[in-house]
This record gives sequence, structure tokens and C-alpha cells, in this order.
Amino acid sequence: MISFLILMSTVVCFSAILALALNFQWGLGGMVNFGLTGLYALGAYSCALLMLKGGANTFFATVGAMAIVAVACGVVALITLRVAEEDYFAIVTLGVGEMLRLVALNEDWLTKGALGLTGVPRPFGDVIAPNYYQYFQFGLAFVLLLSTVWFLNVIARSPFGRIVRAVREDDVVAATLGKHVLWARVRIFAIGGAFIGLAGALHAFYYQYIDPTQFSNIVIAYAFMAVIAGGRGAHAGVIFGAAAVMVLLEGSRFIKDLIPILDSDQLAAIRIIMVGVGLILLLIFRPQGFMREYRLKSES
Amino acid sequence: MSGEGTDILTISGLHAGYGAGDILKGIEATVRRGRVVAIIGPNGSGKSTLIKTLVGLLAVRQGQIVLDGESMNALNAPARVRAGMSYVPQEYNVFRNLTVLENLKIAREFMTVRTATRSSNPLDDELLALFPELPAKFGMLAGNLSGGQRQMLAFACALTVHPKILLLDEPSAGLSPKYIADIFATVRKVNARGVSIFMVEQNATEALRIADTCIVMANGRVRMTAPASELLAMPDLRSLYLGDAREEAA
Amino acid sequence: MLQTAFNGLVTGIIVTLPALAITLLFGVLKFPNFAVGSMMTLAAYMVFALNVQLGVPLAVSTAIVAVAFGGLLIGVDYLTFRPLRERGSITLMVASLGLGFILENIARLAYGNTARSFAIELARPFRFFDIRMNREQMITIVVSTLAMLAMYVLLTRMPIGRAMRAVADNPALALVRGIESPRVIRWTWFIAGILLAVGGVLIGMDRALEPPMGSNYLITVFAAAILGGLGSPLGAFVGALIIGIISELATFVIPPNYRIGIPLCVIAMILIFRPQGLFGQPYIRK
Repeated sequence: MISFLILMSTVVCFSAILALALNFQWGLGGMVNFGLTGLYALGAYSCALLMLKGGANTFFATVGAMAIVAVACGVVALITLRVAEEDYFAIVTLGVGEMLRLVALNEDWLTKGALGLTGVPRPFGDVIAPNYYQYFQFGLAFVLLLSTVWFLNVIARSPFGRIVRAVREDDVVAATLGKHVLWARVRIFAIGGAFIGLAGALHAFYYQYIDPTQFSNIVIAYAFMAVIAGGRGAHAGVIFGAAAVMVLLEGSRFIKDLIPILDSDQLAAIRIIMVGVGLILLLIFRPQGFMREYRLKSES
Repeated sequence: MSGEGTDILTISGLHAGYGAGDILKGIEATVRRGRVVAIIGPNGSGKSTLIKTLVGLLAVRQGQIVLDGESMNALNAPARVRAGMSYVPQEYNVFRNLTVLENLKIAREFMTVRTATRSSNPLDDELLALFPELPAKFGMLAGNLSGGQRQMLAFACALTVHPKILLLDEPSAGLSPKYIADIFATVRKVNARGVSIFMVEQNATEALRIADTCIVMANGRVRMTAPASELLAMPDLRSLYLGDAREEAA
Repeated sequence: MLQTAFNGLVTGIIVTLPALAITLLFGVLKFPNFAVGSMMTLAAYMVFALNVQLGVPLAVSTAIVAVAFGGLLIGVDYLTFRPLRERGSITLMVASLGLGFILENIARLAYGNTARSFAIELARPFRFFDIRMNREQMITIVVSTLAMLAMYVLLTRMPIGRAMRAVADNPALALVRGIESPRVIRWTWFIAGILLAVGGVLIGMDRALEPPMGSNYLITVFAAAILGGLGSPLGAFVGALIIGIISELATFVIPPNYRIGIPLCVIAMILIFRPQGLFGQPYIRK
């Protein structure tokens, strides 16, 4: 039982990092990343491949993954630089996420396609006894989570962060500041991307095996739910949100015991349906996360 | 004053606003049947907010709006139009991606019949007399008209439903002098046919020329209500509401 | 080469219906709806149920489902989007994403992951000059053309169509011209439902019926609508044809699995060079 809790808490930790990254890009930068799942996969695969094919150790693989996803996000933000419309940005990120998923699935020579990558090393995996590893793993994930919170906070409170926030709220300010503003958006999105990469790396270390099915819609639904449940901008809230959502998701696994007649595909489908319903219900009944959208829209 | 029958529109104790705090802080105003009432006042006095609240684009927080004896508070904007209140907004007052003819058609397509006849031509003889230049432009996209022409179209659209009262939000804003004269001439003609007019105007002088009564607004309140002739006779109109505004700030 | 262009044209024609649905929904509801792919999927499976499991001919099944689906979407909107109407496009987009998950997985729950197909009689392809055309493609062309014509008549000649265009153009003005927005919204969903149901069936005829079938088209459909200008029905039509042809021609240089890269590039280029698309008007978001 303790084992189960420790493991689940570890997953909560890196899932929370992912949610915090989404929160950062969205809450501070006003950029909603609908391609989160694909970028998360990019982080996990990059980390794994850097170790398996590149021979890097876990530290450099992690840093590498963070850099790769950061650059990918930066490029996406750059392309949509001219168009501040959140609608179009959402569509582009959705498309990018989809592309990344296809690459993972199809580029067998790199990613082994549907078979996935096995035998992914993990930090200090050779050094620490298997019995105790889970505690170390949790500790590491937890420390990294706290570091993420601290780092993102520092940025949010910095002059840079203040400018970004001012710009996000007021189009006139944005127009006056011009190019600097747009570059700030790129940087925000890239920084968020780095943490998506971190979460992906931790995912790789945790499961030690990566395949495309791990990166389904549940990932992004989960992250959205954590951010919405927690209240956008409030870090502690997002973490609690992540924990709450995880409990829900893990809990839903036990449905299998209740309804033995369904096969695994159908159970997976039911879980996603529940997640979708949960997401919509959260949106309807928990509006506090969306301060920006409460800026009153005058009717004409 | 006089009995209810002569007042087409009564506004009492009206409060409204966008966020915390009210922009309209208890507006009192009356439009007598067949008259022209002009609201003048400095920028930020709440004139536009008042019109939007009357029309139904902004919620009433306190107070009453009564049109021809019928309370408007609970009605949404389309319902208020059906009740007889027609509106010409200041800008974005036509559907730019629709043609002139489509604009006119749609203005009355969703009204239950308040119009005397439902002919297929949205411009009956009355309106044709008022807007003789429109039929030639029926096929043009409204977005391709000049500012003045759009204003005329917006007017015509508002009139196709034969309203009891016409609400105008700064009808002369952004128009060249020729069009300003045309617009106010049209307002006069429309009024002559029995349509009451409630007009918010920045151009105080012009407004006063055609109004019967004038209401001066500042800081969300009515500062003064008087016959237009009296105000026109005053030596310095500006000091009237600027003075009040200073008083308010003190 | 001509054959490829023709295939591209047919692909494009398939995309016109959902692209039009997206652009209508965007015009009236003011947000991109990410559930349209899954909506097509679910509708296609509903037709499958009638057609394969109950033996109703495909055309009749499609007609029945199309109307029913239109009604279903009105209900879905009432439950999902109506409570969120005032909340801004990001909330609505996220909700549509969640809705997409739900719809696709209802199909998966009911029919599993194996590919299915409609009960259509096999027919030999025929040649038209140098181009080989099979029966499904013929049906697709005819049905889509009829649908487009019907839409044209609706949008230009009928009051409700005018009202939809008016609301898309200026929602506040529409209110003060007496147009009740809930009614227009219901009609928009109903029409979108019909378009998406027919579109789903056409996709199901073109490829197989499987749960991701609709969402696979999502980016392509959006690219078509954006290329044409979000909110412009003519744009959706033209954009879809162009995207279809370009995508098909691109298979000469790009492996078919990455077909989705084309629409994505198109979106990126449009956003860089001409955000309002071919026929779009910049919408004043106040």
C-alpha cells in the first residue's frame, strides 16, 4: 500500500510539473498549448533517445530534453508571432502536437514506432538498491517539483514577468511596445517548454519504457483539469489540482473490478469519457481560474 | 407634469454599469409622445451607457424603463425592438458583409408584425421618400458604403419597423458637414411623422436646434432638464455642464 | 498527375462540408470547435448502426442520422457550451476538446477499435477521359455539390441564413435588429450537424470507419477554413478544394503518413502572411 502511494505521488509530481508548465504558458503568457501531449512526448522520447542512442547520462539527457522542447516551443511561438489571436495559436499548437505524435508513431528507425523504446535508464539506477529506489525517485521528483515552482515564480515576479502580464491584459500597451513584446512571448513559451521537457524526462525515468500509447488525450485533459481545478496562476492550487485529478484517474482504474464484462479497450474509452465529462464540469462549475476572461466584455 | 398617456418613454432611478461601481447613478428622464429629447454632456458622462441600457445591451441594476406604459426591464434587446424601441448605434451600425437590401430585410424579418403592411420591399413609400438614394445601392455590400451612407442605411433599417421611439447614439459622429445636415434633416422629417426621438449627441448646438427638450448629463447623473429653446438662448453653453462637472469633482 | 489532382479534388470536396460547418460555427459562436472531428466520427457510426446492423440503405440512413444528429448537437450545445457562453474562447475551446474526447470514445466504447465499413455494393470504377473514378467518388462529388448548393440558397435567400451571417458579422447589432441569438445558435448547430453527419459518411466511404477517423481530419478541416478565412462560407469551400489538391499533390514528395504536415504548413503560412485568409474579414472582437 505504501509502495502504491509513493509511486502514485511520484507520478503526481511530474504530472504537476507538466501542469505548471501549461499554467505558466497560459496564465502568464496567455498562450494555450493544445499541443501539450505531443511536446510532452517529445520530451520523453528525446530524453530516452539521448540515453539509448546518444549514450548520454541521465543528467545530460534531461537537460537535452528540456532544451529540445524549449526550442520547439520557441519556434512555434515565433511562427505565430504576428497573430496574437488565441484561437489561431490554439489551432497551430494542436497541429504541432498531432505532428509530433505521428512522428513518434511512424519514424520506426528512430522511435521504434508502436513498439516503443525499452530499457530506459534512470538516474542512479545502478547505484541505489531496487527496494529503496522508489523513495529516491519520489524524493527527486518532489525536489524537482519544488524547484519548478520556485523558478517559475521567480520569473513571474521579475520585471520581465510583469511586462508580459501587463502586455497580456492590455492590447494598447502591447501595440506600443511592439517587437519586444512579441519576443517576450516566445521566451515565455520556450521556458514553459523546458519544463514540459523536464516532465517528459521524468516520465521516461519512471516508466523506463516509452510507447506512443502513453501519450494519449488523457495527458492534456489531465493537465487542463489540474490547472482549472487549481485556479490559474496559483501554483499551490495547481499542485493540489494535479493530486486531485490523479486520484480521480487512478480511482477510475478500479472500475475494471466493478464491470468485468468490458474489455480493456472499452474500459480505456470509459476512462477518457469520464475525463472529458470531468473537464467540462470543471469548466462550468469552477470559473475562478479564468480571471482574464472575466475582464468584462462590453457588448458592442 | 401630465398624465401617463403623453409620455412615450419614462426613465426613473436608472443605475447601470460595467464592473464594480455604477456608471449611471440614478437617471431620471421623460420623453413625451412625438417629441425630440436630446442628451448632451461631456465625454465620460455616461451618455452612451445610458443608450445601451435603454436598448438592452447592458443590464439594469436599479430603476425602471417604461415604454408606452410597458415595463422594459425584463425584456431582452430583441424584445424591446418588438415593443417599439428602435436604435441606431454610433458605429458598427450596419452589417458590413451583407448587402444594403439584406440589411434592410433583416431589420424587420424577425419582428412580429408591428408594421402596417408586410410588403416584400422593405422600403415602403414613406421610407422611400426619406431615403430616395438607397434603392440604387441595394446590391452593394454595406461595408463598401461611405460613412455617411452607412449612417443613412442604419437609419433606414431602424425605421423599417415603424418604431414608437427612435434612439440615436451620436448620429453626427465622424460625419462631414454635408452629412450632418442631412442626418438632422432626416431626424426632423422622421419626427414629423410621429416618431419620438431620444438622441445622445456630442454636437450640442445642432442637437439643441432640433430638440424640444434637452437633458444635460455629467458623471452619470442628470444635471439639468430644460426646454431646448432656453438652453439655446444661454450665452455660454459650455460653462453649463463644465461648471457642474467641476462642482461634482469638488 | 491529372489522376492525382482529381483525387485531390475529391479529398477537397469531402473536406468542404466540415470546413463549412466549422466556419459557420465560428462565425456564430466565435470560437474554433475542436469537437467537429469526433462529431463526424460519431455520426458516421450512427449511420453504420442503421446501415450495417439494421440493413437500412446507406442514403436513407444518412438522411435519418443527419437530421437526428442536427437535433443531437442542439442538445449537446445546450449542455456543454451554453453554460460557458460568456466565458471567452479559450474556455470554449477547452470544453470542445473535452467534448471531442467524449464523442470519439463513445464510438470506441460501442464499436471498439477495429475498422469497419458501410454496406455498399461493389461497383467497378469507370473512366472519364484519362481519369479513373470509382462510385464512391462520384457519390461524394454529387452529394457535396448538392449540399453546397443547398447551403448557398440557405445563406443568401432565407431569413435564417441571413440571420446567421448577420450574427457572425456583428452580434450586438443583430440583437438590436431583433434577431434572437439563441434561435440562430440552434439553427447553426442543426445545420452544422447535418453537414458533419454527411461529411462523416463521406469520410467513412473514402477510408475506413474507425474511432480516430474524424479527428484525423481536424487539422485539415481547420486549415481549409482558415485558408478561406474563418467565418466566410465561400472561403471554406474554396479553401477545402485547395487544401485537398495540395495535400494530394504533395504525396509526390512527402510520405503519405505525414500528409497532415501540409495543412499545418498552410496554417502557419497563412498566419504569417495573411491572417484573415482569402475571403475573411477581420472580425472586431469587442
